[in-house]
Amino acid sequence: MSLDTLLVVASGGLVLGAIYALMASGLAVVWTTLGIFNFAHGAFIALGAYLGWQLSHAEASGLGLLAGALGAVAAMFVIGVCFHYALVRPFERKANIVAASVITTLAGAAIIENGISLVWGPRSKQMPRLAEGDVALGPVVLSASDLVLLVTVAAILAGLGWFLGATRTGRSMRAVAQNREAAELMGLDVPRLYAVSFGLSAAMAGLAGLFVGSIRFMTPTMGADPLMKALIVVILGGVARFTSPIYAALIVGMVEAYSSYFLGLYWTPAVLFALMIAVLVLKPSGLFTSHQRTL
Amino acid sequence: MKAPLLELRGLAGGYDPIQIFQDVDLEVPHDRAVGFFGPNGHGKTTLMKTISGVLEPWSGDVIFEGRRMNRAAERGSRRWRNFNYDAIIPRRMDPKAVARAGLIHVAQGNLLFPEMTVEETLSIAPIAAAGRAGGAAETKRRRDEVEALFPRLAERRRHKARYLSGGERQMLSIAAGLMAAPKLLILDEPTLGLSPRLRGELCDAIRQVRAGGVPLILIEQDVGFLKELIDVLYLFDHGRISRRLTRDEVPSHDRLMAMLFGERE
Ligand SMILES: Nc1ncnc2c1ncn2[C@@H]1O[C@H](COP(=O)(O)OP(=O)(O)OP(=O)(O)O)[C@@H](O)[C@H]1O
Ligand SMILES: [Mg+2]
Repeated sequence: MSLDTLLVVASGGLVLGAIYALMASGLAVVWTTLGIFNFAHGAFIALGAYLGWQLSHAEASGLGLLAGALGAVAAMFVIGVCFHYALVRPFERKANIVAASVITTLAGAAIIENGISLVWGPRSKQMPRLAEGDVALGPVVLSASDLVLLVTVAAILAGLGWFLGATRTGRSMRAVAQNREAAELMGLDVPRLYAVSFGLSAAMAGLAGLFVGSIRFMTPTMGADPLMKALIVVILGGVARFTSPIYAALIVGMVEAYSSYFLGLYWTPAVLFALMIAVLVLKPSGLFTSHQRTL
Repeated sequence: MKAPLLELRGLAGGYDPIQIFQDVDLEVPHDRAVGFFGPNGHGKTTLMKTISGVLEPWSGDVIFEGRRMNRAAERGSRRWRNFNYDAIIPRRMDPKAVARAGLIHVAQGNLLFPEMTVEETLSIAPIAAAGRAGGAAETKRRRDEVEALFPRLAERRRHKARYLSGGERQMLSIAAGLMAAPKLLILDEPTLGLSPRLRGELCDAIRQVRAGGVPLILIEQDVGFLKELIDVLYLFDHGRISRRLTRDEVPSHDRLMAMLFGERE
């Protein structure tokens, strides 16, 4: 086995890791601010991919890839906000909001997935590749498509970090996540900030969906597998901060790539879950956390 | 006649289903400071949280600058208790509206945002003043004032709140309150659990805030300090205002305790 093979596998792992990082950060944004787990995140992925396909594909609206992607991400933001108002907000002042939101977000996921089947039919589709050709970076040859994906994800995550750290809305979102009562006393618009978090999270899921759609076939339930991986990421990394899933996502992506190559595709879930159980036993708060829940 | 700055009429509230206080009537005139004194656990903090809207009032009204801050509705009937969609059954009181009207509550033992730096916290604090008190220039002026008031905070600008000492956190809470351009500032036991030196520093700062003309509701256990600052003192026990004393009538700490718990020879 040559170094080249190892590098090719590593680049595949990097791409997977980037997608999982995007998903897991989106999950973390909602978890840290609202304190609930959004089980519809996988359905958001599928919806984002189908909307992107609809807007960009030549057989449909044919706006081109860039316009289609931007449109899909913007639409997902709006859908996320609506989803929050319809399925999470009504239970916000209840003591059992966490349990209630498990049911409502699962229901939302079922509605979205079946809605996709109704509108687009069960036949699988595929997004066009993000770019054609290969790019050589020293000894490593990456496909241009992968490179676009990696650069976009890095830019989005950096942008998210900047948004949360430097803008007033971002800082307000962190404030609400860390101490809701103090944020209310400061006059922050908590319901609006919750809606923005949900929209942001859905937009990130939509983008992840576009990427998943460009490397795999699209089906209405295409989000289930990435959501499961994102869950493993979240458990490995902890969601105490939105950055902690990023490292864990790269680890999961790499482990998946190498174990798929060396042990075979069917062993990968077993390897990942074994890793997850080991982490749960040894360091239940996640590999990279020493902090409490915060954005 | 001008309406008082803050008026409470028959206010009652608590933590559902336990009622903590009832029949609270109170007027805070413009440009005045009032104090609250009472035993631990008798509902002072709960009352303040209800005034600022983080807890819903059960009945009664909170009127700030002549404007009623709560909705007319009484506490929800059983039938609708579990159906609390904001769009259909709105909250009886919105803490955002209260803060943006200029009634700023610095909560007891407020930790603010543990993972945010002093700088970041103070940068979002003026949101409550938006559309009410000046623009960027005004905010900048406030910021300079606050830094002059709490030089320690200026030094720790880049520190996260969770690495600050208890006294510094309290300073940060008050500083954030001042950044919101308060028309009335509620300070709930600002000096609780501090070392004598920090306590001294903080008391000086509060004196300066008061000297700057900010009306206060001050909850404190130190009668001497209260007496210095306030015009009227309310004794609060068992969830009611049991007595109203003007500054000249405020006796020593021991006499006050005797008033609250009954005479003992
Ligand atoms: N979150 C809560 N849920 C239920 N009961 C509470 C809650 N917080 C406080 N209480 C109860 O409400 C009562 C009044 O508490 P509160 O904090 O208002 O008293 P306080 O007068 O401010 O006391 P202190 O001087 O110690 O600050 C107490 O008996 C307390 O146990
Ligand atoms: Mg108290």
